[in-house]
Amino acid sequence: MPTTSTLVDAPVEVRDLTKRYGTVLAVDHLDFTVGAGQVCGLLGPNGAGKTTALRMLVGLVHPDGGESRLFGEHVRPGTAQLRRVGTMIEHASFVPHLTGMANLRAYWEAGGDRLADADVDGALAVAGLGDAIDRKVKTYSQGMRQRLGIARSLLGRPELLVFDEPTNGLDPQEMRAVRELLRRVGEEGRTVLLSSHILSEIEQICSHAVVMDRGKLVATGTVAELVAAGASAYVEVDDAARATAVLAALPGVERVVDESPGLVVRLAGATRPDLVAALVGAGVGVQTVTSRHALEEAFLGLVGEETERHVGKGA
Amino acid sequence: MLRLVRVELVKQLRRPRTWVVLAFVVLVPIIITIALKTNPPSINDGGGGGDGGSRGGGVRFFFLASQSGLLVPIATLRVMSEFFLVVIFCMFAGDSIASEAGWGNLRFLLTRPIGRTRLLAAKLIVAAFYAGLATVLIIVSGLIAGGIAFGYEGLNIPILGLSMSVGSILAKIALSGVLAAWGIAGIAAFAFMLSTMMDNSAGAIMGAVGAYVVLSILGAIDSIGPIRYGFPTFYNGAWVDLFRGQSFGGDMVRNVVAQVPYIIVFLGIGLWWFRRKDVTS
Repeated sequence: MPTTSTLVDAPVEVRDLTKRYGTVLAVDHLDFTVGAGQVCGLLGPNGAGKTTALRMLVGLVHPDGGESRLFGEHVRPGTAQLRRVGTMIEHASFVPHLTGMANLRAYWEAGGDRLADADVDGALAVAGLGDAIDRKVKTYSQGMRQRLGIARSLLGRPELLVFDEPTNGLDPQEMRAVRELLRRVGEEGRTVLLSSHILSEIEQICSHAVVMDRGKLVATGTVAELVAAGASAYVEVDDAARATAVLAALPGVERVVDESPGLVVRLAGATRPDLVAALVGAGVGVQTVTSRHALEEAFLGLVGEETERHVGKGA
Repeated sequence: MLRLVRVELVKQLRRPRTWVVLAFVVLVPIIITIALKTNPPSINDGGGGGDGGSRGGGVRFFFLASQSGLLVPIATLRVMSEFFLVVIFCMFAGDSIASEAGWGNLRFLLTRPIGRTRLLAAKLIVAAFYAGLATVLIIVSGLIAGGIAFGYEGLNIPILGLSMSVGSILAKIALSGVLAAWGIAGIAAFAFMLSTMMDNSAGAIMGAVGAYVVLSILGAIDSIGPIRYGFPTFYNGAWVDLFRGQSFGGDMVRNVVAQVPYIIVFLGIGLWWFRRKDVTS
């Protein structure tokens, strides 16, 4: 049953959301909120339940328990609040025998709105499809479909954008273009909820993150907070054994892991200059000191090393 | 709602398959007319199928069509309503939701503020429109081709005891079109229901056409008993009685009534299913 909203104006509010497929608990009592203007990453390994959660959020899938709210209103299929939401759930799909423009028109007008009110030019400018917009979609590449999908989600200048793995299936150049586009959308002050299993993508684009694993909420907060919780450094030295002993004894170092040819040092207060000073002071030659992929470290700390195999470290 | 219906009409209209189907229904009466003109049937030639009973047999439509162009659409409708028109109806009905799901577009369509009942109603209206259009095109194409080839005269064949004025024939053509189309409505509703359950329109179409074939075969077996009178296919050729000197009634009424429970049940199940369905495609 719908409950009273605690944050009436929050674009996205998920409370105790649960979905079961047979014996598999795809989403397990999930709770999170995305505030206005946030660019929030929904992060988790493949199979974590991200897509199912997003489908429930926009009324495509019926939850078995809990509820989701858009702008304070309980979500039901076809709810009026969807007018304020642009979505791209999984890969972008279209009516293949229609042109890109005809697809945009069909999508928009199906909701009872006039295309003249949709700011088509703005959406097309972002997608950058040029003359291809008048070609049938079945002639499009995957990247073009994805860009048209983003244009479709931008029609009517929605206040909230929900994207599910928007760079899936794209080549590196197309990935970069889509990420740049998403960053621009976020900079315009719109709320974005973006699911991804690519850590660097979330780190590059998002201000906030919700971490899921096996259908459950693992952590939520700003990306900076999550990164701070898992800060670490990578050190290459001329004597790994001695460096390990020195660093392990240093205050503010939580753990030292041998990742040949270097060492990964998980930090709990110590800084990289502290590490260098300690090593040099102990007569250990330091060749390299760099920060490790911050969110990656944080993520692995949150969901465990077991998950590493299923998570992309970036592209 | 009107805007949604218009969107769906255009979506279907721009589909090459729609044009191919509509081209076929226009061409078949023309081909039949050419065949009748080049090789006119005699009065003893067959009546265009049927079992000789009250469900559509026993009328020599091809001979009658060669006597008056006004009968060409009826001869064509008689032939096409037995199978081809059924396939066309099932195609438009079975395609409606399943093709959107097959394209992966359904999940985007449903992220617009569209109630699922409203979407289903719009899809149903559009499917019914194109099915009706196919029926009308058969009649119009037949009238034009038949009129050019055999003229627009009334029918007066004392040896068969047939005498119909032009006005009477035209009225019967209109009623025949409605009854022939309505006779397929139960099976088309079944195709529509399947369409809400599948992500593959071919499955929905073939499922409904398969059901039609099975029911038609079973309906022709006397040993099945009175249960076959309840099949939606059993009376669907009864409109032919209009050209055997009968007015609207008897098996024609049974055909009309027989479709109603099937339409209500299949559309009801389709709506119930679609409203509770988790849309993942």
